[in-house]
Amino acid sequence: MEQDKLTFEVALGRLEKIVSEIETGKVSLEQSIERYAEGVTLIKQCRSILETAEKKIQLLAKDQGMGLEVSGELDPLREE
Amino acid sequence: MGSAGLPLFDPPQPPLRRGKRKVASGVTDETNGGSSTRPDVKPKPVAQETSPSPLTQEAPQTLTVSALIARVRCALADAFPRRVTVVGEISNFKLHSSGHMYFRLKDADAAIDAAMFRQFAAHVRFTPADGLEVVAEGRVDVYDPRGQLQFYVESMTPRGAGALELAFRQLREKLQGEGLFDPAAKKPLARFPRAVGVITSPTGSAVRDICRTLQRRWPAARVYLMPVLVQGEGAAESVAEGIALLDAHAERFGIDTLIVARGGGSLEDLWAFNEEIVARAIFAAVTPIVTGIGHETDVTIADMAADVRAATPTAAAELAAPDTAEVLRHLASLHARLHRSVVEGLASAASDLRGLLRSAIFRDPAAGLRIRHQRLDELSHRLRADLGHLLSQARRRLDPVGGKLAALHPARLAEVARGRLDRLTARLAWALGARSKRAGDVLAVWRGRLLAVHPAQRLALVRQRLNAAERQLEAMSYRGVLWRGFSVTRKADGAILRSRADAVEGDWITTELADGMIRSRLGEPDGGTTTDHKLDAARQGRREQNHGTG
Repeated sequence: MEQDKLTFEVALGRLEKIVSEIETGKVSLEQSIERYAEGVTLIKQCRSILETAEKKIQLLAKDQGMGLEVSGELDPLREE
Repeated sequence: MGSAGLPLFDPPQPPLRRGKRKVASGVTDETNGGSSTRPDVKPKPVAQETSPSPLTQEAPQTLTVSALIARVRCALADAFPRRVTVVGEISNFKLHSSGHMYFRLKDADAAIDAAMFRQFAAHVRFTPADGLEVVAEGRVDVYDPRGQLQFYVESMTPRGAGALELAFRQLREKLQGEGLFDPAAKKPLARFPRAVGVITSPTGSAVRDICRTLQRRWPAARVYLMPVLVQGEGAAESVAEGIALLDAHAERFGIDTLIVARGGGSLEDLWAFNEEIVARAIFAAVTPIVTGIGHETDVTIADMAADVRAATPTAAAELAAPDTAEVLRHLASLHARLHRSVVEGLASAASDLRGLLRSAIFRDPAAGLRIRHQRLDELSHRLRADLGHLLSQARRRLDPVGGKLAALHPARLAEVARGRLDRLTARLAWALGARSKRAGDVLAVWRGRLLAVHPAQRLALVRQRLNAAERQLEAMSYRGVLWRGFSVTRKADGAILRSRADAVEGDWITTELADGMIRSRLGEPDGGTTTDHKLDAARQGRREQNHGTG
């Protein structure tokens, strides 16, 4: 279930930075082509994160100690 | 209650029941005016048989204090058979450690001590305090140890506002003072939550609304439900514990946003979210919390303590998660910008290159040179024009100087010199008369020479000769003075007699006149004055003579 280390927020932040750098001409032409490749990869990663859809809710319950555990799944929308 | 004290104060009277009825009937008579209406006054005729009017006619009867209090209590019980409701202001409020409350109820003119025992006090929702006006319900009784009238309160509500409303206001004020609602303490929500923890009832409408909204807007987020009791006994504790637990384990589940929610309901239904324990749990949580409790108009204490308050559970989910469609649009726009900026960067570099190649210097290298030539011509033309202008300007400025310069021209100077020479010649002629003829001739010769040479040479020559002529002229000039009647006197040794002091009596002197010499001897003057006159004359002569020679 755990995603890659790269969260959507981090990926998007990096992408926004790349675009603004290239747009404002802060990087050379060669660098901008490198960044372009990186940007396109980031866009793909962001899209793939958005495509994952969680249908179920993880129901939590206290365990014997003071811990928490997933005790089951719940689909509250189906109940209706 | 009253029955406990009766045997003590009324031992001589045999029937306990009768004694009580007696008192009761007396009170009833006074207050109601008629006793027949009340069922418990039936035995009245019996009482009248033994003692027709005990309170009035058996006045000297002596009572113990306890008996007195007991009678008062009976009278009170008859006067207030049921619980009474009293409006008054609280003063001298004390909460005893036992949980009982003691205070006074008062109005402008009167006051009564009041007590509220723990089993009743526990249900008071607000915190009673001095000055608070309340509506208290309870019984009136006498407190035996002090014989004081006391009001035993069983329930109490603040006057005007409801108890819950007052409790709400009081808690809000308290927590506000502690900084639980401080905007500076509020944490920002995650922009794109990975996992959302929901603390609510697993069966209510809130969980459905939240799940539907999250799935619609941001399906990428996992949702964890922490089921809690949101209403009724122990709800506040359950909610507070749920928040603390989920917050403590948030990291393990990747939860970066918490939603505390409950569907709409009455103020009482939502009460758990106005409890201090819930507000404190929300404030203490490390994970940012959005609350969505009740309907639009409901603002609970929990809402105020939350990092972000939403009006409803659905709104809470909307605030917690961005809209995927919007984010996708943003991504698409970033993609387009990325593409455009790189492609445009390349295109503009290419066009720069083409532009350079197409530029005049590459197409026609000589063109630049031609242009420079033309420019040069243009500049030199302008320079000439400027120079002409400058020259004429300079000339204008020089004209007055030219006049002065002309005056200094050698020819002019020679003329001036000639004029001066003429004047000197004339003077010389006058001075020398015939004797200067020779000198005059010499000058005339020079003058002839002078006029013969070039003006420039002439000037130098004139200066030179002029100086020589002047020197000679001066050397001869004293003789001219002699012609005018002056004389030069010399001593025997030939030295000119210049001072009276040099004149010694008996000395021979020689006086030179214009046409000859006179030798004479200095005689003794006739008187001081005569001699002085002579000598004065001599002095004057010497002065003249000096003038002539100098």
